[in-house]
Amino acid sequence: MNTEYAVELEHINKVYHTRHFFYRDEETGRRRWYTKKTVHAAVDVNFGIRPGEIFGLLGPNGAGKTSCVKMISGLVRPTSGNVYVEGLHVEKKRLQVLRRIGVVLEGTRTVIWPLTPLENLNYFGNLRGIRGKVLKERARQLLDFIGLKDKMNVQVRRLSRGQRQKLAICIALIADPSVILLDEPTTGLDVQSSHAIREKIREMTRAFNKSMLVTTHDMFVAQDLCDRIGIIDKGKLIACKTTPELLDVFSDKTFEFRLDRIPEPSKFLSIQGVQSVALDENGEGPVLVVSVEQEETIRSAALYEIISLLRDDGYLLKSVSMRQQTLENVFLRLTESTTPSVKPIVSAENQLERRV
Amino acid sequence: MWHINGFFLVLKAEIVRAFIIMRRYWFASIISIIMGYATLITIVYGLMHTPSSVKEMAEKAINGILGFLIGVFAFGIVGLFSQGLQGMARTGELEQVCLSPFGLVTNFLARSFVAALGNIVSSAIMLILVAKTVAENLHVAPVETLVLLSLTYINLIGFGFMVGGLVLVFKQTGQMAVIVRFAMIGLAIFATEKISQWPMFARWVAHALPVTDAAICLKYTIIQGQQVIKYNELGEPIVRALEPVLDSAGKPILDALGNPVMNRIYETTFSSVFTHESFFFLILSCIIWTAIGIASFRFMENWSRDKGTLGAY
Repeated sequence: MNTEYAVELEHINKVYHTRHFFYRDEETGRRRWYTKKTVHAAVDVNFGIRPGEIFGLLGPNGAGKTSCVKMISGLVRPTSGNVYVEGLHVEKKRLQVLRRIGVVLEGTRTVIWPLTPLENLNYFGNLRGIRGKVLKERARQLLDFIGLKDKMNVQVRRLSRGQRQKLAICIALIADPSVILLDEPTTGLDVQSSHAIREKIREMTRAFNKSMLVTTHDMFVAQDLCDRIGIIDKGKLIACKTTPELLDVFSDKTFEFRLDRIPEPSKFLSIQGVQSVALDENGEGPVLVVSVEQEETIRSAALYEIISLLRDDGYLLKSVSMRQQTLENVFLRLTESTTPSVKPIVSAENQLERRV
Repeated sequence: MWHINGFFLVLKAEIVRAFIIMRRYWFASIISIIMGYATLITIVYGLMHTPSSVKEMAEKAINGILGFLIGVFAFGIVGLFSQGLQGMARTGELEQVCLSPFGLVTNFLARSFVAALGNIVSSAIMLILVAKTVAENLHVAPVETLVLLSLTYINLIGFGFMVGGLVLVFKQTGQMAVIVRFAMIGLAIFATEKISQWPMFARWVAHALPVTDAAICLKYTIIQGQQVIKYNELGEPIVRALEPVLDSAGKPILDALGNPVMNRIYETTFSSVFTHESFFFLILSCIIWTAIGIASFRFMENWSRDKGTLGAY
């Protein structure tokens, strides 16, 4: 167990077995008396979340994100491995762990629709052991903070989806937990609601020093919100790095030189450190797209030489820019690689030591 | 101590929620009371149209109604753990309850207590109304009634926890639970001391179900007033008085010889329900069902977390 982390998953494996009697295979149409299926929701998953950090767990549908959230909150038991929340073993001290975490599960199924937001908060506050004045004050503060103060006496069934999601977040926060788990908090929300919720999550983490786990398959949300990102696919954590580090993983250092006329690309290929040259053209004129080596000294020399060559040939250099890597590209490249030879990209600090 | 505090906090939360929903959906609340009353009146008329004396008819009606109310009580409590739990899984509420630091058992104890309280209050009102209608006296023995209701509740909770445990893992057990619940209503209506004359197997099945002995004891207390018939040295019941059997028009019914058919009123003596055979069965069944229920619920809860079926439906 690493004391640096507020939440820690240590060599977690989760296998679901489903047994079917008189089963008809939907793909082949074959009937069987009995069949057993095995799904690996988590395969040797290791990661930790530091206090005050927003950790994003990214993955395609069915990758095992929700299973991880449920294992941290004790709703699902791992087949093997250990989960710790603030140093407490989730399986052995589950009820104590539950006092320290707030969970928003996917969708808005967690709120009671015939009640108002204020009544919902009072109800769930009691269920989490908060009462009296403390509960009333906290409920009003949270509704004010999240922007639902003017809707606190309106029945939940009359609220929009975004407002219900905000309420679900308030419910998770009502017992003032130090760890908050948000499962797909912005799914199905419009741009404004999604933005508002992201802002509130950021504000909450910074203002109250909460540790936050956000699962999502929205690359933009992850890139915008998370300090660190773990990418999970088919139950395996295939990457776990800070957001800038992750964006750098597949960065091939591609530069764009916007010019006044079309250059001859082959001239640049002979420059040491240049890996590939391409031409791109759009409404604003021709663009020379050059990929250079990662090594800084070689890259620097190559860039100087390209610019010098362009100047010598009398090109008007309108602008030079580095092509930005997006999380979506990183994600697609990581998750498309299904071959077992792909090594997990986990930085040394995220690799937890195996317990003896 | 933490769990006791938790029980009362959840209890408070549930009572407040129930009140808010009842007040907010007042029309549905009134309709359910009217429906309940209509059902009871139908049963009363059904029972009162069997040929016997007015006194017997009234007694039969009250017996049936009390049995029905106990059955409905059992139906509701077990329903909370079967259909109720299934519904909670569907709406996502079950996972929220599982996230409560008081644990699932404490939460369900409080929830069922609120359900039982509401059921007992409404049933008591109905029973008093029906008793007034058929001019039958009810015997109010507060201590005995309270003890019996508490034991019935504990008994049903134990049984409910067992059913609930099964629902946690195998969500599609609803129809099976419905059959069991209706069987309990039937048993509660027809359960009397005559159960001792049933065949051995049927008798043990009846005793095993949590509602039978509870119904016998409650009927014995509320209807019979804990009175048993006195017998003479020859083992015959001592007759206190004879009363003519009246028809629906209030005229005496005559036999083939033209003599009025007489109803015997026997000499009775007080015998506390706490010495009744069924009371011991009730306590035994309480202990067994509570132990089995809570143990199996905890086991099934863990199994359900292993299978990841808490949020599935």
